[in-house]
Amino acid sequence: MSSWLDYTINGLIVGNVYALVAVGLALIFGVSRLINFAQGSIYLVGAYVGWVAVVQLRTPLVITIILVAAISALVGLIIERFGLRPLQNSVRIAPLLATIGISFVLDQIVMLTFSPNPRALPSQLPDIRFQIGAGTIGPLDILIAGVGVTSALLLFVFLRYTKLGWAVRATAQDRDAAMQMGVDVNRVNQAVFGIAAALGGLSGMLVGMYYNQIDTAMSLQATLKGVVAEVVGGAGNVPGAVVGSLLLGLVESYGVAVFGTSYRNLFAFLLLIVVLVLRPNGLFASAKQAPPEPLTGTFIAPSRPVRIPRWALLTAVGAFALLPLLPVSSYVLQTLINAWLLGMLALSLTLVAGTVGQVSLGHAALLAIGAYTSALLSLDFSFPVGIAIICGGLMSAVLGTLLISPSFRLRGHYVSIATLAIGEIISLIILNWESVTRGPIGISGIPPLSLFGHELVSVAQVYWFSFAVMVLLALLQVRLLGSHLGRSFRAIRDDDVAARAYGLSLNRYKALAFIFGGFAAGVSGGIAAHLYSYINHETFNTQQSILALTVVILGGLGNVAGAIAGSVALVGLPEVFRIAAEYRILIYGIVLLLLVRFRPQGLLGTI
Amino acid sequence: MSWDFLQMEPYMSNVSRRTVVKGSLAAIVTGAAMSRAALAQSSEPIMLGVSGPLTGPNAQYGTQWKQGFDLALDEIHATGGINGRKLAYSFEDSQSDPRQSVAIAQKFVSDPNIVMELGDFSSPASMAASPIYQRAGLVQFGFTNSHPDFTKGGDFMWSTSVSQADEQPLLALYAVKHLGLKKLAVLHLNTDWGRTSRDYFVKAAKDLGAEVVITEGYIAEERDFRSTLVRVRDANPDGLIMISYYSDGALIARQARQVGLKQTICAASSVYSPKFLELGGEAVEDVHLGTRYFPEDPRPEVQKFVSGFKAKYNGQEPDAFNAYSYDAMNVAAAVLKIGGTDRRAIRDAFAKVHDVSTVIFGPATFDVESRRVKGAMNAELVVRKGQFTLWDGKQPT
Repeated sequence: MSSWLDYTINGLIVGNVYALVAVGLALIFGVSRLINFAQGSIYLVGAYVGWVAVVQLRTPLVITIILVAAISALVGLIIERFGLRPLQNSVRIAPLLATIGISFVLDQIVMLTFSPNPRALPSQLPDIRFQIGAGTIGPLDILIAGVGVTSALLLFVFLRYTKLGWAVRATAQDRDAAMQMGVDVNRVNQAVFGIAAALGGLSGMLVGMYYNQIDTAMSLQATLKGVVAEVVGGAGNVPGAVVGSLLLGLVESYGVAVFGTSYRNLFAFLLLIVVLVLRPNGLFASAKQAPPEPLTGTFIAPSRPVRIPRWALLTAVGAFALLPLLPVSSYVLQTLINAWLLGMLALSLTLVAGTVGQVSLGHAALLAIGAYTSALLSLDFSFPVGIAIICGGLMSAVLGTLLISPSFRLRGHYVSIATLAIGEIISLIILNWESVTRGPIGISGIPPLSLFGHELVSVAQVYWFSFAVMVLLALLQVRLLGSHLGRSFRAIRDDDVAARAYGLSLNRYKALAFIFGGFAAGVSGGIAAHLYSYINHETFNTQQSILALTVVILGGLGNVAGAIAGSVALVGLPEVFRIAAEYRILIYGIVLLLLVRFRPQGLLGTI
Repeated sequence: MSWDFLQMEPYMSNVSRRTVVKGSLAAIVTGAAMSRAALAQSSEPIMLGVSGPLTGPNAQYGTQWKQGFDLALDEIHATGGINGRKLAYSFEDSQSDPRQSVAIAQKFVSDPNIVMELGDFSSPASMAASPIYQRAGLVQFGFTNSHPDFTKGGDFMWSTSVSQADEQPLLALYAVKHLGLKKLAVLHLNTDWGRTSRDYFVKAAKDLGAEVVITEGYIAEERDFRSTLVRVRDANPDGLIMISYYSDGALIARQARQVGLKQTICAASSVYSPKFLELGGEAVEDVHLGTRYFPEDPRPEVQKFVSGFKAKYNGQEPDAFNAYSYDAMNVAAAVLKIGGTDRRAIRDAFAKVHDVSTVIFGPATFDVESRRVKGAMNAELVVRKGQFTLWDGKQPT
């Protein structure tokens, strides 16, 4: 029994830590309906500013806190002014992508300045321990809890009882109406970003002190857990974010207690799915509250797609098909193979996210299902590779659609968050279901690609194979988009209420899109498995999902040619910048930001 | 850290510029059609390709590799290089991502100047590139690849990574026989390395008569271990085994003390880093660990490595990953001295090198069957007063 007390206390302690990030995220979401993926990077900046203050400048705690809050707020203001404000008349998806780009840039700057080695960030509080249960807590636990709860309370009061707070809430409800009422929307946004960033930076510093450790990889994890906690509490609801965080901590702790450490995150993400399915507005949404503004439609840039003449497309296909016959290095071919594989994934995602409006952030999981199915069928059941890959595609289509189906009833950002969670769940199942997937050891010795008994080993052969498969899938998809199915898909994206009024069954069409998209992604994963010969649970990770989404947005949502062009660009750019060594991801982030800034509808435009 | 690379660049371009100048002078003076290739043979450095993480979540290991490589190169050049030629490397950032490591592999195999490849860091990235190196006939020398299947990728895959089949029984011996622990809790990183290590450790510990009461795998990004440690406490062990890297190892040790666990902690050699002491603070006091070397080790190769490292990097203490990369560069140099610059001859030379002086293995010789080196050195250390010291043989009370 005493152990349960300990699990409860530990859950609350870690929930306390999540709350700091979640509150900042909730505040920004509340005002600008934006999931700020850069919040984790500000957290990182705060941690390192704290390190400079504590270790280099040896400032006392109060000064450290002021310094961290001030510099983080400044970073937040810069992000708002130069990264997001220029996009405010742009489509919803543009700021989301911009925050991803900003987080790349910030993380890289911190890494280049401080080196990626982890550093110790000593706590400046006296080292007194209080006995609670069998364990102890220190003054830092209390300080973190204090900061979390106080900031949530202050924000609550600020939003409810001050004039600027009213302005913030008015802006959140209806920007245009607020502007007409004389609210200076920009000032409101500035205030919110400043406060959220100060809080984010402070939380990075406190968490760094808590673990006596900071490193440049901490940003993505912080964002992930923060987003989960925030959504559980109700996106945009500041006190809800604190409760959501504590609940998340408790669920994780009890999950560890019952099933073991390796299942920990599984429980975090399952909690999120359950909450989203049962109470899509979060646990603390009042019954009277209007449903969140449907982001479909407004989410996607209305634009005229660039018309590429048929002869140009045919020439491009012909040129790429003939490329291996020219004296190009196998490095270029291999890079393009990667682009074709990513292209298949992007085709899948552009259909689901662009044409049907279900912006999925867990698409790499579909790759993983295809890859594992194909690898295991060819290894354990000696399926010919070609057939195994097709089975991988089918499995991805069926299993992926089933697993993602709980998100069908959601809208806008919630779809992205739910699919992100489903993606994480699938990767954790792969890690833990050892009897089938071989767990962390992974699958090695996967036979190479082959076609009718001929092994495809040379780069040129693999190139042609993957290029042909991608072109085939692309043609199928173009055909699909031209049919009545394609029109129905777009109708659902543009206005789901109207679509339903016309008698379209939303779930059925969403499932159809995921079945087709799942197949393309599964085939891509299958080919990758045979190409690499070794895969494990890390091969297809969240970064792949984010990359795929970037490709799709860059190319133009729903645009088949755009997805492929985007893949070539995003696989190619980091390779082109290879000469810049450590700086290449930084440059990549900046290029991404510029593209979002100047061409938010994507290179080839939305279809 | 990043400056090391930048400093190398001008140096390399100087060499090639000088070569060009000399080459054209020679051509003018003698008027003979002297092939530039023949001249380059003697004065241009021999190039190694390195594929590893310089950005992304594993970037810290790439920078540690560079430190070890650069120190080894200084020493190699001070003693006349490779049969008179200099040795250099081209470090391509893969972010430890299989998609990038395969592209890098194609780049290296199609570059005739690259005679051997070192890396990658993680198993997915390394083993995805193996088929390319194997088919093209370029040695992939994976010096941190402990995955048991890595060298099974083909006869061009060689590794000086300490086999966990070797290392874990040594740790079990330390924990069970020397420290007298009988009921063990094993916490391990849930990666291919951690999992393989755990299996070897559990088997060895059982063979020595100890009982493993609980094993817990955790993912690399995990930072909170308090609930895991409550589970460990309830299993009632008399010792904690950490199969961890230094950053997560330090976190576990700190939190173990916070939740009130007072058991002896014994850790795998991968925590051996000054960072472990810095990050763990007082909590890592009395942590026991088996390592392959330690700074006071009287072996001359260790003394040369440690003092050379401190001199080159402002007094910084080297850690395990610095040692791995330092050894790898020295082994590569020894192989090149025999194999020359022909890729196949280099593969064959791996079987011929004999007793290369290394920090981790002492005299290292490859086992031709497994293409690995057996018999890593062993030192039993304990943290005392914030320093790694040789264990005095007193069992903890």
